[in-house]
Amino acid sequence: MAQQQAVIEQPTAPAYRSRSDRPTPVRWALAFLSFFKDKPLGGFGALLIILMISVAFLAPVIQRYDPNQIFETPNPAFDPAIAARAEVDPNVKLLYPAEKYTRGGIIGPEAPSAAHWFGTDKYGRDLYSQVVHGAQLSMLVGIGSALIAVISGLFFGMISAYFGGWIDMLIQRATDALLAFPALILLLLFVQVVKQPNKYYITLALGIVGISQVVRIVRSSVLTARQEQYVLAGQVIGASDTRIMIRHILPNIMAPTIVIFTISIGAYILAEASLSFIGLGDPVAISWGKMLNQGRTLVTKPWLSVIPGAAIMLAVLGFNLAGDALRDVLDPRLRGRGGNAGF
Amino acid sequence: MGRYIIRRMLINIPVIWLIITLVFFATSVLPGDFVAQRIAAANPLGGQDQAAQIAQVKKDLGINQPLPQRYVNYLWHTVRGDLGTSYRTRRPAINDFKAGLPYTLQLSIMALIVGLSISLPVGIISAIKQDTATDYGLRFFAILGVAAPSFWVATLMLLLVVRYQWWTIDLIGQPLLWQSPLASLKLYSIPALAGGIASGAAVMRLLRSQMLEVLRQDYIRTAWSKGLRQRVIIVRHALKNAMIPVLTIIGLTIASLISGNVVFEYLFGIPGIGSRILTAITARDVPVVQAFVLIIATFVVMVNLAVDVLYGWLDPRIQYS
Repeated sequence: MAQQQAVIEQPTAPAYRSRSDRPTPVRWALAFLSFFKDKPLGGFGALLIILMISVAFLAPVIQRYDPNQIFETPNPAFDPAIAARAEVDPNVKLLYPAEKYTRGGIIGPEAPSAAHWFGTDKYGRDLYSQVVHGAQLSMLVGIGSALIAVISGLFFGMISAYFGGWIDMLIQRATDALLAFPALILLLLFVQVVKQPNKYYITLALGIVGISQVVRIVRSSVLTARQEQYVLAGQVIGASDTRIMIRHILPNIMAPTIVIFTISIGAYILAEASLSFIGLGDPVAISWGKMLNQGRTLVTKPWLSVIPGAAIMLAVLGFNLAGDALRDVLDPRLRGRGGNAGF
Repeated sequence: MGRYIIRRMLINIPVIWLIITLVFFATSVLPGDFVAQRIAAANPLGGQDQAAQIAQVKKDLGINQPLPQRYVNYLWHTVRGDLGTSYRTRRPAINDFKAGLPYTLQLSIMALIVGLSISLPVGIISAIKQDTATDYGLRFFAILGVAAPSFWVATLMLLLVVRYQWWTIDLIGQPLLWQSPLASLKLYSIPALAGGIASGAAVMRLLRSQMLEVLRQDYIRTAWSKGLRQRVIIVRHALKNAMIPVLTIIGLTIASLISGNVVFEYLFGIPGIGSRILTAITARDVPVVQAFVLIIATFVVMVNLAVDVLYGWLDPRIQYS
């Protein structure tokens, strides 16, 4: 018995015979590493994405100050002796209210320094902490909108191509209508429909505007996949339409879907930044676009414009580079399509 | 060909109907309508007869009927070519569009010229010199150009010009090219350059990959072995075929340029289509929004049709049916 076990266990110890023998996590890690080797630019993009997402999650940890804290100059007139007397003597307190002695003005925009790595904005807030928190909004809106657009686009694109006929006709005309309309203006309209547009609503609006682009790509992929033998085989053995779509067609159109998902995130980040830039974003959220708009008039304080814009660019760059590389690897036919999600 | 164009136009009618219907109902659910805003502004203390006032103004503006009836009226007027009257100015909504058009048109055409004069040569050079230092450098800038927000690029340029006082920018007067050429160029060169870089970078990337594909075709090798000059091969044989998919992107660019570079117009205070529709939306001037949307959508549909017709001219293999 013991001898038999030893014989069975032996083959698992030496090196794997082929790639598919390895456990799934190892296979994934290897695929990831070879992606870096084959596509250095895509790997760089993936690193940027990882950086942005970690910054977004770790923002409360890596912030150096509360992003909304307003820094004030120490008051040169502050006299601890008077302050101490004001504490006990109400007459003195009347003459010298504590604020007059402890608080100066806000420090306003200050150049980058050791205390404030990216300087401070015109309201005297720490720009580094603001930029770090801005990543949260960009990642939420970018990834959230792309998820909404891709999931609904998959749904409509699949039923449009699979069933054809009047369903296809209806969905196609609706898609045409959405595509014939400038996305940013549609977005302005959608955002105004609610009284107080918050970040979740903006995510939803962006996702809805982006659906049509996804529907187009999914539909053309499904039209190809539907001609395949395995779909016919599925129909012959009596599989239901839902089953064929989910088990047979869906896995075969995942490649273009993943590509459009990755590339469109960059476009959504840009669109959110544009909305915030023209003052129609979430009024309370910390947004790179809003920071850029607040800083742009201060001509002598260029860091207020350069840094938030650079943050937007790096985020978009990461998703674009990674998406380009994924497209080359997964689906070269998609080249030059869907890169802007209509914005 | 003629029949194809007519059929395509007929197909586009339901598309445009869908768009204006969507916008009609979207504008009807906007919170805080125009009338309430106006009455509240005129009478901040509020009064007992506010409801009566609102009803009166609504009657004057012709919006006191129920929504379905207003929708039918709206469609009827639109079909007859009446695009409505602005709530704010009480003048035809189309006037607002006409007033904004020259500004947007000038900005768009300038941006398009910048974009194409950068992207076409750069895309071709990058493809011919594939995998050289030149190619890598040009592609690097193209990738940055796509990722950098165009309003950021414009902001930085504006910052430099103002900071170092290279020239003065007339943000108040908004001179057009035929009114004051030099002042106009000073104002519009920055948004045109920033917008042109953004759209040009996308065109360049696509043109490069298309050129690379075409340059590997048999007929290009035949052209080389015939002893044709490089210029003839690149421009006549390769570029013409590489341009076919690129045209789609250029068409999209034109469509989005005309609809108004909302962000640039906001940044530079240009009273063009984009900033006018933005004002109309925030002021709840519904007829103006609807009129703009109808014109823009029709224009985009026409550009798409033009692109498809051009396809056939560039590639005779494409048959219209």
